[in-house]
Amino acid sequence: MTLKSKFSLGVATIAAVALAGSAAFADFPERKIQNIFPWAPGTVAHGVSQMIAEGMSERLGQPLPVVATPGAGGVKAFNTALAAPADGYTIFDGYVAPLVISPMFGRADWGCDDFTPLWSATSNAFAIAISPTEERFTDFPTFIEYLKANPGKTAYNGNGLSLPHMVSAKVLQTLDLVSRPVPYDDIELGMKDLRSGVLDWLVVNPGVYNANKDNLKILVTLSELESVQRTYDGADRALDFGIDLGISGLAPMGWNWWLVRKDTPEDRVAVLRDAMEATINDPEVRAQIEATGFVLTEYSPDQYSDVCNSARAQLESAKDAITWEEEAVKAAN
Amino acid sequence: MLEPLFQGIQLFFTMDAVFAVLVGTLLGLLIGVLPGLGPLMGIILLLPITFHMEPVAGMGLLIAIYVGGSCGGAISAILVRIPGTPLAAATLLDGYPMAQKGRAKDAVGIAISASALGGVLGGIVLIFLAPLLARFALEFAPPETFALALTGLLVIALVSNEATSKGIMTGAFGLLISTIGYDQFANDLRFTFGVNGLLGGIHIVAMVVGLFAISEVIVQIKAGFFSRNPDVPWVRPSLNSALMVLSRWVNLVRSSAIGSFLGALPGAGGVVSSFTAYAIARSSSKTPEKFGTGFEDGIVATESANNATVGGSLIPTLSLGIPGDATSAVLMGALIILGFFPGPNLFEQNQDVVGGIFLAYMSANVVLFFAGIFLTPLFVACIKFKKQYLLPFITLLCVLGVFSLESSTFHLWVMLAFGIIGYVLRRYDYPLAPMVIGMVLGPIAESNFRRSLVISGNDYSFFIDRPIAATILAINLVLIIWMLCPKGWKNRLLRRV
Repeated sequence: MTLKSKFSLGVATIAAVALAGSAAFADFPERKIQNIFPWAPGTVAHGVSQMIAEGMSERLGQPLPVVATPGAGGVKAFNTALAAPADGYTIFDGYVAPLVISPMFGRADWGCDDFTPLWSATSNAFAIAISPTEERFTDFPTFIEYLKANPGKTAYNGNGLSLPHMVSAKVLQTLDLVSRPVPYDDIELGMKDLRSGVLDWLVVNPGVYNANKDNLKILVTLSELESVQRTYDGADRALDFGIDLGISGLAPMGWNWWLVRKDTPEDRVAVLRDAMEATINDPEVRAQIEATGFVLTEYSPDQYSDVCNSARAQLESAKDAITWEEEAVKAAN
Repeated sequence: MLEPLFQGIQLFFTMDAVFAVLVGTLLGLLIGVLPGLGPLMGIILLLPITFHMEPVAGMGLLIAIYVGGSCGGAISAILVRIPGTPLAAATLLDGYPMAQKGRAKDAVGIAISASALGGVLGGIVLIFLAPLLARFALEFAPPETFALALTGLLVIALVSNEATSKGIMTGAFGLLISTIGYDQFANDLRFTFGVNGLLGGIHIVAMVVGLFAISEVIVQIKAGFFSRNPDVPWVRPSLNSALMVLSRWVNLVRSSAIGSFLGALPGAGGVVSSFTAYAIARSSSKTPEKFGTGFEDGIVATESANNATVGGSLIPTLSLGIPGDATSAVLMGALIILGFFPGPNLFEQNQDVVGGIFLAYMSANVVLFFAGIFLTPLFVACIKFKKQYLLPFITLLCVLGVFSLESSTFHLWVMLAFGIIGYVLRRYDYPLAPMVIGMVLGPIAESNFRRSLVISGNDYSFFIDRPIAATILAINLVLIIWMLCPKGWKNRLLRRV
């Protein structure tokens, strides 16, 4: 083969690969893409995912329904998405509970690196709140004092192996406080029982706080971030009382990344990433999402592994807190 | 009290908002008719559309779907014995027998008129009693909710007609089915056998559609006569049904009050309201033996309670930020997405939006009333099709509706399994409605019982130290003693009274 013919063959090969690549690029997506959402439909979180999905759908030219598949702390949704082919037509709404917490408790056998990220989506920070009419404790120091003096005599909303319960259990363990966790399907029902005096304190999210500002007093935010302080109208952080919660960054928050299966073709991942990036940078979508109290986290795909694994490592330390709490409550009662 | 209404006039009486309510009500009726869909699914499907609408128009659309959808399920329950939604399972008890007697037009007309009038009464309660009921709803902590769920379970015996023991058995089966899935108190899975589809429990819609619709398809296939023309006369729009409902005004008002009250209590919902209203209407009737045979009062009770529940459920949702049921939880989410946080602040700072929502709800019920008059002939015409066309069409709708729940074929297998179970139970005269009650109330009763014990530190006196819980439990005890009394004793006692 002459140099000229080698050159011609090389050019032809590159052209063929480029054409094939652009054909694949142009062909995807040819049909509906679905996002498998791990919680009940119709919640604010579901609505926020629908906002992102709608923006992506407009850019991709195909419908992108957010299919709610609740069950077993999100494991059902992950199993469902894993059972679908790795062709880019199924996106995992990768919330921290099924992605990180369920595997920690042996409920699932996947890890952060078993998925390919599109972009990070949102976060939702928590805070400890009491009724404004509460007289036994009025700020975080007196709250600590009261719980110390009355171990196991108070109750709050704490739902099994999930967030925010893991974080609140970790806080209690760090401060050596014992309070009974009461499982609720959602924070709103806990809010009702706080108002009726059945619960003594509550762990809230921005949505519940915004809807009940007159009936809640925030004692402390469960994050060291100033942006979270702003969400709760400048409430104190644990850090402000010299208390180190032992977890920081995304770890004490609810958060989600949009993911696809690890073996999804790269060109399809690129198409989805571009659409998601454009959507979460769309000022209109951003304004809509921020109005709900959710915060766009804006981590890029290359930060995924570090962010997810770091949150997992930190939450490992909170894992023991659940067992500790169970035993402490039994001992106190 | 009326201030929000006046302020809301400007926001509601716009082309967009009025049109949204009109379309939403009709769409809701259609969604309710289709087996498997229903108001909750309809609202979820249309939620993204509202992201770009004005708040009152967007909420009007969703609330109208809730109103229309809560009624639509009754139409298919009456005409083809298929409750389009679990809400209509109680309406089936008298609606279908009435249609079988050749009075399909009356049954559908009564159902829609009772729904609309019940909804209007629920709206009046919403406007005038919202603060009072919201305060009362706050008194309902886990012990009270458990006691009330127990009352609902006792209703099983009352809706089982003469087959009380069989009703209790199917009710217990429903309770058992409701235990499948994730137990949040023990942090463990129950009866899932490693099957992914069972991790979230059995879906109530798949169960109800299978139990009623698929079993009916099997019954009809076994009966044959596929190409015979059904003897259903053409009907014209008329006010007769509405007048029939109004002539039963005591039942209408009482059932609407039950619906509004139970709707305002978080956790109860339309299924409980309609069965409770039915049981109370039956036990307070001079002719209880007519219930279950195609009696007008049965339909009036269930449908008016059902739609009044919508108004009731909006009370804690809007005024406390605590959703009354799953559907109002979605409405609350929608309101937040539209930029308004439900709760006391909403009533103080956004009275115009609250008023607009109230007006949208009332208007949806007015639209429903007229839809009942003008669309009943159209609905009744559906059963004029020969079986060879009707049965495959119904099956197709069931499959589409149930598949759309989670885009999952697993739910289709669940539907088929319950279709066979339903067929076998019907063959041996076991009532199916108690199974739905057990399935709906099982998780409410269990979680609130266990929650009460966690809160009180396993102290059972928590249930009797609280006056409302103790009163409801005492009533439950009297009901149980009454049900266990031999018939002769009951008759003697009633004669003396």
